[in-house]
Amino acid sequence: MPAIIEIKDVTKEFKVLNRREGLKGSIKDLFSRDYKTVRAVDSISMSIEQGEIVGYLGPNGAGKSTTIKMMTGVLEPTEGQILVDGAAPYKNRERNAQKIGVVFGQRSQLWWALPLIESFRLLKDIYRISDEQYDGMMKLYGSLVDIEPLLHKPVRQMSLGQRTLSDILAAFLHDPKIVFLDEPTIGLDVSMKAKIRTLIHALNKEKNTTVILTTHDMGDVDALCRRIVIIDKGKMLYDNDIEHLKGFFGSYRTLKIRIDGDMKEIAESIQKELPDFSVSADDEWISVLVDEEKAKVIDVLGRLQSSCKIKDMQLEEISTEEVIKKIYEEGVS
Amino acid sequence: MKRNGLGFYLRIYGKILAQDLKSKMSYRADFIISTIGMIFTNISGFVSFWILFRSFPSINGWGYYEMLFLYGFSLVALTPVQCLFDNNWSLRQYVYSGDFIKYCFRPINLFFYYQSEVFDIKGLGQLAFGLGTLIYSWTKIGLGFTPLILLKMTVFLITASLVMAAMQNAAAATCFWIQNSFYILDLVTRFKDYAKYPITIFSPVFRFIFTFFLPIAFIAYYPSLVVLRPDEVPLLSWLSPLIAVVFFWLSYKLWMRGAMKYNGTGS
Ligand SMILES: Nc1ncnc2c1ncn2[C@@H]1O[C@H](COP(=O)(O)OP(=O)(O)OP(=O)(O)O)[C@@H](O)[C@H]1O
Ligand SMILES: [Mg+2]
Repeated sequence: MPAIIEIKDVTKEFKVLNRREGLKGSIKDLFSRDYKTVRAVDSISMSIEQGEIVGYLGPNGAGKSTTIKMMTGVLEPTEGQILVDGAAPYKNRERNAQKIGVVFGQRSQLWWALPLIESFRLLKDIYRISDEQYDGMMKLYGSLVDIEPLLHKPVRQMSLGQRTLSDILAAFLHDPKIVFLDEPTIGLDVSMKAKIRTLIHALNKEKNTTVILTTHDMGDVDALCRRIVIIDKGKMLYDNDIEHLKGFFGSYRTLKIRIDGDMKEIAESIQKELPDFSVSADDEWISVLVDEEKAKVIDVLGRLQSSCKIKDMQLEEISTEEVIKKIYEEGVS
Repeated sequence: MKRNGLGFYLRIYGKILAQDLKSKMSYRADFIISTIGMIFTNISGFVSFWILFRSFPSINGWGYYEMLFLYGFSLVALTPVQCLFDNNWSLRQYVYSGDFIKYCFRPINLFFYYQSEVFDIKGLGQLAFGLGTLIYSWTKIGLGFTPLILLKMTVFLITASLVMAAMQNAAAATCFWIQNSFYILDLVTRFKDYAKYPITIFSPVFRFIFTFFLPIAFIAYYPSLVVLRPDEVPLLSWLSPLIAVVFFWLSYKLWMRGAMKYNGTGS
């Protein structure tokens, strides 16, 4: 079966105008334009199969959104070729739009003043969704999320989380082959994040929809993606299974400890004490990433125990979060 | 996939409009206040017209009722622009903030989809006001209501609307290229006020500008000549429906070209 998305040596450059100051400046800008070129995506290639969930990762400004905009047909690649379901998206945006769904976190595409159900009905007409398919989809949604209270609420009265959820439901409504989710969990609380992950997972399973997901939350990646693609400064760093990536860091262990008091503060002081290892904290645990080629976990634990009272501890392999952080900082060696 | 035809778009527009009206009605206070505001705007426009006319009972051979006819004609002709293309006013903001991208993911015409989002009902009040003025002056002049005149009126009202819509589309579309494009749209809209006057009252330079650059003379003057002065209709009047269609089409192309080259913003 041919790949649903085929990207070959794609580059995208933006010409950014060096704007001049003031009214005189903007009149000058009209006539002589002084451009700087920004290469947002730099000869990237990848091939994605129908039904995959791909985590598209990279630090801020890496070029993720730009790549997605090219795949959705909004931007034209400066060089290279993109095929989505066998056709170039930019060449026929409207036709491409029928096959895809798009969600940009914090940028709703729904009709602001209308209750969700009316938005759905309009989408039904716009995408020419048959009654049968529409009813089937609504039934499926009903079984996956508590949709009833959302349906009659105007989108503008929704919370960010409810709106994001609605946008995701809207994006899947016409049963597209591919759904692009650009930071869908940005700004959401823990429980809404979990809800959205479950929803995406279930829809992917049920409809075999290809999902391209960008996120800065590795919880999303752990919950959804087997394959990850990492880019930085427009260049591809990695494209493979996440487990394979963790294999590069076989000698790393995550030592998690629990201590009474302000975890963030204690984590900072531990970091000072152990400058070789990266220390982070969440609500429950302080995590220390130990490279066993440099020091034994047991020694690190001993040193920690001498300075503070440990209530609880766990030992884990390296987490996705830490792998990605190391890649962003050091690249794939 | 089947190409979307006119019927498809009309149906979609109808549904969006119905939903939009329903939600607007549910904010009753808002609705009433904007209606009152609209009435006052129209009254004040009319009053300034009237004051002007008390000091000049006839302008370049145009009498009071003829001027009133022109006034009503332009109000009616402006209604479709006001109602259907009002979202042009927000275009600059959407483009600047990057939110314009949300319109780019639907399998329907982008220009249509964008404009369909807003229907400004205030325009309907203007329509009522304009129609009243038009019919009043019409009977006072004694033009009669023959089928030919009604046909001419319809054709030339559409002409006038197309010209105005085209000017507004083109002016709004400049924001895809220029950052401070609000002034352009604002300027064009201000100039449309001059559409109420016979072009012959302006100096030759402005006459030229209003015919070929900012063609506001096509909004009321050239079209209404066909009805008001059937004996001395200039060629431009007869050509104006054609010019209007071409001009509207060009403005649409310009708008779409801008939208297609839209790069968005980062993130
Ligand atoms: N419309 C634009 N005009 C000029 N430069 C742009 C434009 N869009 C993006 N860029 C630049 O391209 C680069 C990549 O941006 P992009 O939005 O793709 O990053 P990203 O990976 O999505 O980052 P983030 O995680 O912060 O969302 C950045 O340097 C950005 O400044
Ligand atoms: Mg981004």
